[in-house]
Amino acid sequence: MLQAHSFLWHYLWVAPNVLLFILCFLIWKRGLGKQFPAFFVFAVLSAVAQLALYAADVSPSVTAKNFWRVDWAGLLVEGSLKFILIGEIFASAFGAYASLARLGKLLIRSIGIILVLTAAVAAAYAPKNGLFGIVSGAHMLEQTIYLIESGLLVFIFAFSACFRLRLARPVFGIALGLAVSACVHLATWAIAANGVLPTDRRGVLDFLNMATYNLTVLIWFYYLLVPGKVAVSPAVPLPENHLDVWNRELERLVRP
Amino acid sequence: MTLAIILVIAAALALIFILGVAFSRSLQISAGASLANQIHPIDVEAFRTLVDPAEDDYLRRRLPAAEFRLVRRERLRAMAAYVQTAGRNAAVLVRMGQAALTSANPDTAEAARRLVDNALLLRRNAAFALLRIYLALAWPNSGLAATPILHGYEQLNGSAMLLGRLQNPAAPVRISARF
Repeated sequence: MLQAHSFLWHYLWVAPNVLLFILCFLIWKRGLGKQFPAFFVFAVLSAVAQLALYAADVSPSVTAKNFWRVDWAGLLVEGSLKFILIGEIFASAFGAYASLARLGKLLIRSIGIILVLTAAVAAAYAPKNGLFGIVSGAHMLEQTIYLIESGLLVFIFAFSACFRLRLARPVFGIALGLAVSACVHLATWAIAANGVLPTDRRGVLDFLNMATYNLTVLIWFYYLLVPGKVAVSPAVPLPENHLDVWNRELERLVRP
Repeated sequence: MTLAIILVIAAALALIFILGVAFSRSLQISAGASLANQIHPIDVEAFRTLVDPAEDDYLRRRLPAAEFRLVRRERLRAMAAYVQTAGRNAAVLVRMGQAALTSANPDTAEAARRLVDNALLLRRNAAFALLRIYLALAWPNSGLAATPILHGYEQLNGSAMLLGRLQNPAAPVRISARF
């Protein structure tokens, strides 16, 4: 059953991408596409890239080398879009709060630099395969992207948890789906890139990756389309307020 | 091989952490009603005395150096306890403010947004203040300005009371024992 080109294999590769197109259509109809443009573009292009890769895999006219070229192109596009999407998640989560935005930006940039350096070290220590450089290079690129991506997402979750800040439901859902996918993919690509499993048994990793991607798309469906609990507060007229004075006072805390 | 094992363990820990955050989020939503009970009022006057630099100067002049360091450390520990409580109260106020953000009344929603912003600022400053307090515990003779935290907490108390009055005029939220 866990064989390449089995029914389950075809289903797991194609179904989440078709579901992503449906999700994109539904969020576009609900106006969420304008609210989360990076997610919308990422979802559309990811689905296109994955289906193009699937077509390259099943088409007998596409050579192995061309398949890996398509894979590289998709990886570079998806990788870039993921980091733009993480920027959007960060801005949606903390951008509204001036007190956190500056500190958060400083920290996420610092952590980003540390993660890039760590990923570079990890790639440098991975075994090289001169004969199939395009394949091992793709594995290494996957490991690099997922290492940085999962690190940045862990930071976003840790930062919000540290301040007990609850992310808005759609933002939380997008981040959760992306994070689950990034963590599982990091583990599987680390195994693949470092040659832990023999080539004939790596198919299991593909199934795990594809199943996780299915789960990710379902998480996005749930958090973006199913409404959450809404707390209704009674409407009371606003009395005289001193919030501006308080804000000035609190500014003194940051720059005493 | 070793690198792969390290990365797999790191990925597993990251996944467990993220799922833990997701689980605690669902608990937060269900426990939303009892938030006001989680606030521990702080005696602001006692804290003000504790952070007063004049008090430190007085003790430094009156006590031998070794005894002063002991007393100073005790005062710093007490200060840390106050700041931790202020930080915890700020965290509760963040959640209360976020719960009110969806209010249909734009004034309440705006007051809630400002409360959240103020509470986040206080929580951030409380974290920095704790760091300074712990550093001062290592070097008790160094100066420490924790007074800005006090100002921030006083303003936050007013901010919370305003939101409390907006939501329930009969029972405003009070986060200071004396104010």
